Amino acid sequence: MPFVQNSSDISDAYSFMNIDAPVMWYLFMIAIIAAIILLVLKKDMFSIIPTAISAVIFVISLVAVNFRGYYGRNKYDIYSLTNLLSSGNGSDDAKYVLGLGVYVLIVGYILAIAGCFIDIMKYFKKDLGVDSRYLSNSINKSVWKTMYYYRGFYIMFLPVLIMIILFNYWPMAGCRYAFTKYVIAGPYYVGLKHFVQMFTNDLYFWTAFRNTLILSIIKLILNTGAAVIISLLLNEIVSLGFKKTVQTIVYLPHFMSWVVVASVFKMILDPNATGVVNSLLLKANMINEPIYFLGDSKYWRGTFYVMNVWKDTGWGTILFLATLSGISPDLYEAAQIDGANRWKRLIYITLPALANTIITVFILNLAKVMNLFESVFVTMNNAVLDVAEVLQTYVYRKTFSSGNSDYGYTTAVGLFKSFVGMILVLSCNYASKKVRGRGIV
Amino acid sequence: MSDNSVVVTKKKKKFKIFPLVNGLIFILISLAIMLPIWKVIIDSFDARSAYGFKWVPTMFTWGGYRAIVTRVALYRPFGISCIVTIAGTFLGLLLVTLGGYVLIQWEMPGRNFFAYMLLFTMIFDGGMIPKYLVMKQLHLLNTLWSVILPLSINVYNLVLMRNFFEGIPEALFEAAKIDGCSPMGIFFKIVLPLSKAALASIGLMFAVQFWNDYTNFKIYINKDKLFNFQIKLRNMVMDSDIPNDDAVDPNTISSASVIVAILPFAIIYPFCQKYFVQGVNIGAVKE
Repeated sequence: MPFVQNSSDISDAYSFMNIDAPVMWYLFMIAIIAAIILLVLKKDMFSIIPTAISAVIFVISLVAVNFRGYYGRNKYDIYSLTNLLSSGNGSDDAKYVLGLGVYVLIVGYILAIAGCFIDIMKYFKKDLGVDSRYLSNSINKSVWKTMYYYRGFYIMFLPVLIMIILFNYWPMAGCRYAFTKYVIAGPYYVGLKHFVQMFTNDLYFWTAFRNTLILSIIKLILNTGAAVIISLLLNEIVSLGFKKTVQTIVYLPHFMSWVVVASVFKMILDPNATGVVNSLLLKANMINEPIYFLGDSKYWRGTFYVMNVWKDTGWGTILFLATLSGISPDLYEAAQIDGANRWKRLIYITLPALANTIITVFILNLAKVMNLFESVFVTMNNAVLDVAEVLQTYVYRKTFSSGNSDYGYTTAVGLFKSFVGMILVLSCNYASKKVRGRGIV
Repeated sequence: MSDNSVVVTKKKKKFKIFPLVNGLIFILISLAIMLPIWKVIIDSFDARSAYGFKWVPTMFTWGGYRAIVTRVALYRPFGISCIVTIAGTFLGLLLVTLGGYVLIQWEMPGRNFFAYMLLFTMIFDGGMIPKYLVMKQLHLLNTLWSVILPLSINVYNLVLMRNFFEGIPEALFEAAKIDGCSPMGIFFKIVLPLSKAALASIGLMFAVQFWNDYTNFKIYINKDKLFNFQIKLRNMVMDSDIPNDDAVDPNTISSASVIVAILPFAIIYPFCQKYFVQGVNIGAVKE
């Protein structure tokens, strides 16, 4: 069995790691920070070098740490590369094959860093790049004089900076725990062990990952579709008062928290005490015994989608309505004179005008796919884990609800989630730039 | 809106079936949204909440609401929610206006670096466990700071605010500068008064976010005394952790709690709908 840790392994890992691996880690961090600083200073070409160095350090530490340290020097002949990449030829009780996940991680890591930097470079050049007309005033001043002039602003930004560093950047640095065994006495380095275990040996993780994608993508499609249909119909209402009333009502659920929505639905779907739906179905003889909508794997997903549509569809119509009200009435008039009926006007005028907004909304929400947490967390229970567990709830439950919480492992799961999220955001950003000419971040 | 009236008045000769069906559809949609809430409202006034749907309570009682006002296990969470919402909204607005104003200083050295720092937090997220460990290291666990601080620095809202500020004409700043106004003076005398609508929009967004916060309380706080109303509500409804009261049905209390959790924004929202909608539109159109 790979990755079963016995006591001798721990001591070996501990003694070896404490000397070498942190050094690797700090070298790695220094290279990354150097890359970022160079980038900020607009030395785009030079920043590639530290990036490449950091990648090399990463691979070296991966090899050194994961195999030599963790399994011990005497077990495997790790000095031969072929042995390392295929299988161990040491003791027969622990044949080891490097999991696919490691390769995916390495390639993904390099791609992401490169992609991120290319993206940032573009960002600096286009959106935030200092316009020459702004520079004209200060071209003769030295940087220090300009900085002195703006001294008040640095103080103004200080609170924001402190908060950002404390609650955004410090946790990012905390991602290093994903590569350690977290014990109170002092975390020690275990290399990529958690990731390999996660990808090769953890069925719950894959279930959670699949559920995250299924739940949030189907939810996104249903919500967007419903919002488009409702805004099209809403746009056809003539009476202004009626329209305003309807809008007020359909926006209302958006302001309820997920706890409230879950509570309301729990009350009306309850199988025994107060459930309206079950009593109606029973009365109509459509079912013989009450359905456990929130406690049965068969029905949970459907109920979840219904709750999502109920809560967010109305709010989703705002953007579509704004677009619809921007369509020139002349177009409709001209079409009407040409004899186009309501259906034809919808197909040839309204939908093309709306298409861009639909894509925009879709992209904006696709970037948030991995963040699914609260809505699932408040509606799930232990009976529906197989269909309801998403990555964030998996992390939460594994850390806070189980007796022996392994912070290192759950950090690794969280890091994977953030990583996929980052790729999604960057690709959505790219798509958004293609579609509407500007990014989402 | 005018386009519709044009379209419809021209079709007057025909009997219009579509508007009728359309109206009917929206009455059904409104019912689908209101009926679940109505059911909870009725249950909250009904001492004998029973199986099935009723239009009016069978046995009227104020018991549920009285329980919320009188029982410490229920009114303390409500108070905590109020404190966190008010404090968090003020702190959030402060940070957002400060950050937004700095970000429109295009000539300021380091401005791009700050902008990039903020931008990167939208791309990459530290994750739940590292954040928890940071809170632990800061010794903020089980204090209200742990739920106020992380939500009050909201980069998305900060970018919204920056966009509002950017819409203020450059000429105003120039004029003020020529008249001898300091940068701080410009901020307090020109920028803030001009962005009242933005402050209202973003303030409401913050308030909703803090009032509805469940996740942060769940992660950072495990003391009963510091739970907010959402946590208490979830415990009551899902885990039947309802304070004992011989006089009132437990279901009545939890229904009343749901209504109380909705109430603040249900009251504010119809009057401020404009600002809520404005926030969404500006976020998408001018990001």
